[in-house]
Amino acid sequence: MSLPEVHLVGGTCADAFRLAPVAVAMRDQNRLRPVLLAGGADPAAVTRTFAAFGLTPEVTLPAAADRASAIYRLDQLWAVRTPAAVLVRGDDLAAALAAYWRRIPVVHLDAGRRTGWLGAADAADADRRLLAQVATVHLAATPAAAMNLLDEHVVAGDVLLTGGTAMDAVRALDPRRTAENRRILVGVEAARDEPVSMAARELAALYPDLDVAAAGPLGQPERIRLLASAYLVVTDDEDLTEEALAANVPVLVPGPGGRLAEALNAGAARLVEPVADALVAEVSRLLDSRVRRDAMAAAGSPYGDGLAAVRVAQATAALLGHGQFPEPMPARPTAGVPR
Amino acid sequence: MDVVGFWTRSWISDDRTAVRRLLAPDVEVEWNLDAAVDDEELLQVQHRIAAFADTVAVLERTTADDGAALIYDLVAPFGRARMVEFLAVADGRITEVRQVYDVTATDRYFPGLYEN
Repeated sequence: MSLPEVHLVGGTCADAFRLAPVAVAMRDQNRLRPVLLAGGADPAAVTRTFAAFGLTPEVTLPAAADRASAIYRLDQLWAVRTPAAVLVRGDDLAAALAAYWRRIPVVHLDAGRRTGWLGAADAADADRRLLAQVATVHLAATPAAAMNLLDEHVVAGDVLLTGGTAMDAVRALDPRRTAENRRILVGVEAARDEPVSMAARELAALYPDLDVAAAGPLGQPERIRLLASAYLVVTDDEDLTEEALAANVPVLVPGPGGRLAEALNAGAARLVEPVADALVAEVSRLLDSRVRRDAMAAAGSPYGDGLAAVRVAQATAALLGHGQFPEPMPARPTAGVPR
Repeated sequence: MDVVGFWTRSWISDDRTAVRRLLAPDVEVEWNLDAAVDDEELLQVQHRIAAFADTVAVLERTTADDGAALIYDLVAPFGRARMVEFLAVADGRITEVRQVYDVTATDRYFPGLYEN
């Protein structure tokens, strides 16, 4: 008898990076047949990310310019090839809506992340709340994310604390430290680009052995290789923060850091005022003291313990009647090993 | 005729007569609000939204052979909420309406929306 087919929808490189270990776990558990989909605005980049794990997407959708066309393409696919379930990650509302439209169960990875701002400015949180309303099973990376879902009246029995799979992905790629110089990796939104660039120039003048690299244009596995060699990351991006902590690299967050509460509470990430002087001062403190830097890194990642992919695969199989739901991730941070 | 377009314009402008005419007699209605729903409840909630909201806009529309998926932006005096609607269309009538509300924002900015 053939195994139930589950479609894992990679809409971005970050999605693909986190879905890849789940596909491997599903294959290893042999209860489901994982089918990787490469879609979104840049399916070629998504395909390259899967390839870093030795995986090939079985379906590549044409590039979608907007969400409506993404929904349309997925709907066309699932009208003729209907999976038993769809696994979406993070903010992929288009895939979740397309699956819900066809009454296909939706498993949501990295469910429950919120800024906590119930205001007009945060459309991303509005999309995430909608996604929570159409998902069948909500797999949260952190206890705080699980609590966000319960606060939104998601049924508690539909929420499982699995951890995030970025840790699993980093370990799977097993990047090696290669850099001789100290390296800072930077990835901030456009509004903070100017002060961060100014700070980077000033730091380069103060520390001749320092390399500053931009994370933005990088795909995987190049980004993880750079992260493995990084001394520090400066970012306000959730995905880059999670990957940095998985690679045991501390993070400075310019700005309010609304979606990074878990990392900030754990101590592996710290807020810094998004002006050049403050950035230079904070980065210099960490460059001048390896002990201070390692103390941050030792706080570890609150987003996963390296076993999330196995839990996600097991939960998806249980949803489809194959096996039991897994025990939740133990709700405590994993201590890192400073390099 | 663009049934879906007529549907959105009708309920947004609070034209309940037009909305009733578009619904098939055996229309199936689902939503994620914490209240029972049938076609009359649906019309009641649409009327309340149309009456209370500052604006209602269709942000996105995905059209399939047998229906459409729409994302609405419901702007109330003190905030906004999103709603997704899936419509099935047959023979010029709407046979299925499935609505998904951002319940957190809806409860906050459209209080009493689905109370009887």
